[in-house]
Amino acid sequence: MTATVALLSPRKARARERTQRILRLVTAPVIVVLAVALLFWWLSTLQLDSIEQRTLNPTYIEARIKEHLLLTFVASLLVAVLAIPAGILAYRTRSRWVRSFFLALGNIGQATPAVGVVILLAIVWQTGFATALVALVAYSFLPVLRNTMVGLEQVGDDVKEAARGMGMTPNQVLRRIELPLASPTILAGLRTALVFAVGTATVATFINAGGLGDMIVNGLKLQRYPVLFTGAVLVAAIAVLIDWLAGVVEDLVRPKGL
Amino acid sequence: MFTKRHIAATAAILVTTALLTAGCSTGSAVESGSKSDDLKGLTGVIGSKDFSEQYILAYMTTDLLNAHGANLTTNTKLVGSANTRQALTNKDFLGYWEYTGTAWITYLGNTAPITDPSAQFTAVAEADLKANDVKWLDPAPLNNTYAFAVRSSEAKKLNVKTLSDVAALPKDQQTFCIESEFSTRDDGWPGLAKAYGIDVPASNVKLLDTGVIYTATQKGSDCNFGEVFQTDGRIKALDLTVMQDDKQFFPVYQGAFTMQNAVFTKYPKIADVMAKLSPLLTTEQMQTLNAKVDVDGEEPADVAKEFLKEKGLI
Repeated sequence: MTATVALLSPRKARARERTQRILRLVTAPVIVVLAVALLFWWLSTLQLDSIEQRTLNPTYIEARIKEHLLLTFVASLLVAVLAIPAGILAYRTRSRWVRSFFLALGNIGQATPAVGVVILLAIVWQTGFATALVALVAYSFLPVLRNTMVGLEQVGDDVKEAARGMGMTPNQVLRRIELPLASPTILAGLRTALVFAVGTATVATFINAGGLGDMIVNGLKLQRYPVLFTGAVLVAAIAVLIDWLAGVVEDLVRPKGL
Repeated sequence: MFTKRHIAATAAILVTTALLTAGCSTGSAVESGSKSDDLKGLTGVIGSKDFSEQYILAYMTTDLLNAHGANLTTNTKLVGSANTRQALTNKDFLGYWEYTGTAWITYLGNTAPITDPSAQFTAVAEADLKANDVKWLDPAPLNNTYAFAVRSSEAKKLNVKTLSDVAALPKDQQTFCIESEFSTRDDGWPGLAKAYGIDVPASNVKLLDTGVIYTATQKGSDCNFGEVFQTDGRIKALDLTVMQDDKQFFPVYQGAFTMQNAVFTKYPKIADVMAKLSPLLTTEQMQTLNAKVDVDGEEPADVAKEFLKEKGLI
């Protein structure tokens, strides 16, 4: 990137960057709209039997999408609230033990299959939305934790030293210097977590927490492939759209000058 | 990157069948031809779906046919009915045990079951042979149909014995745990609710995975009535009481051995050999055998062998 900028005149470089940005902005939504339109056109050409009609109707699909999005967003919000402070704590602590503790926690959460977690929790604890949330949070915790730690670590020592030289307390350095400088990395972690959550939320179907997993499992078990396919395509479409949305937000909230 | 990941995940589901059929096989230790040499030269793999009853039936079939001269192995590694069925139609499996209701609705694409068991069997056997070249041997009496079960203590307290009793309960007691699959089948929840006049808010019906339903029903916190399978060993083990289907709403899910028709025409004696076993497999017998695996933790292969020996079949 820097190499390209150096070779081009500043104005040309800026123009090129703008076109690239616009292109990036429209590609994902256009592809999603096309894919979904194609899907529904294909569905409209099919003769659906009574089993398929019970799932392939607007009311049912709308309800599943809402459940899916609610799960995804609440889980991501919880991850942000839990994993960013955990990352800051792990970064600032002198104790190596605390660091490894948080990292191990994140690793375990990511490595344990979410299906196993939901079923186990459903048996020993309860079924429903809260259980699905726990599994989702556990699964998407690691990217945010890691990115928070890495983001903070890569803030230059000279910058921190300068800040301290200006008389800032460690907390002020964190709030005014380190966190803003680390924010692009932290946001990238959140974006990853969001996309993870979209895919993983499909396991909620096993414990009465709804979502598009209902369609996938239903279609698979009854060999009603239009149902399976619609569920899968919608999950993929949501993942792409959310990734895109997160990218736009990332651009908007990134501190000026970074 | 993530879009690729998701598309890959979707594709993975669709191609699992192809990949899984390459799964490993387990040999059988039964002495070949101990009973007869009628099936000499018959080789192949007997498959199963992914639950205990299916494992037991697959091992029984392998051992029994091997005792009559065949050289077969058992593969119990596939997950899901659809994959097992695919392995049969792809000719990776010689055969496996299937249920009439499942084939009629899931594979043959019908929506309404036939009430009479033998009429249902005939219809399935004819249609499947014609459409898919799958041969159905004479069925066993076992009927692994759907049922609703409740904690025995609660059944006494609520004084319910039949599904009509359940439908007459106050609405806040009419809570159900069902599978996602059951929720959309004509012979599942929509039909049942209509037949018995069950009219409860959607929040009374919880969608759970099969395994979770048994524990949830035992706990009774999510629901009073759980959708279970008639032959499941856990019904007895968890002290659940099955509600009688007094309006005979549920179709019959009679078990029968299904196999490649080409192999059957070459070895028609398979039917005679299997006819020694099938009539012994009643619903109660299957419940007992399944409980040995699901409750006592025995190996399906051992349970199968023990049963065959006890009946003098191997």
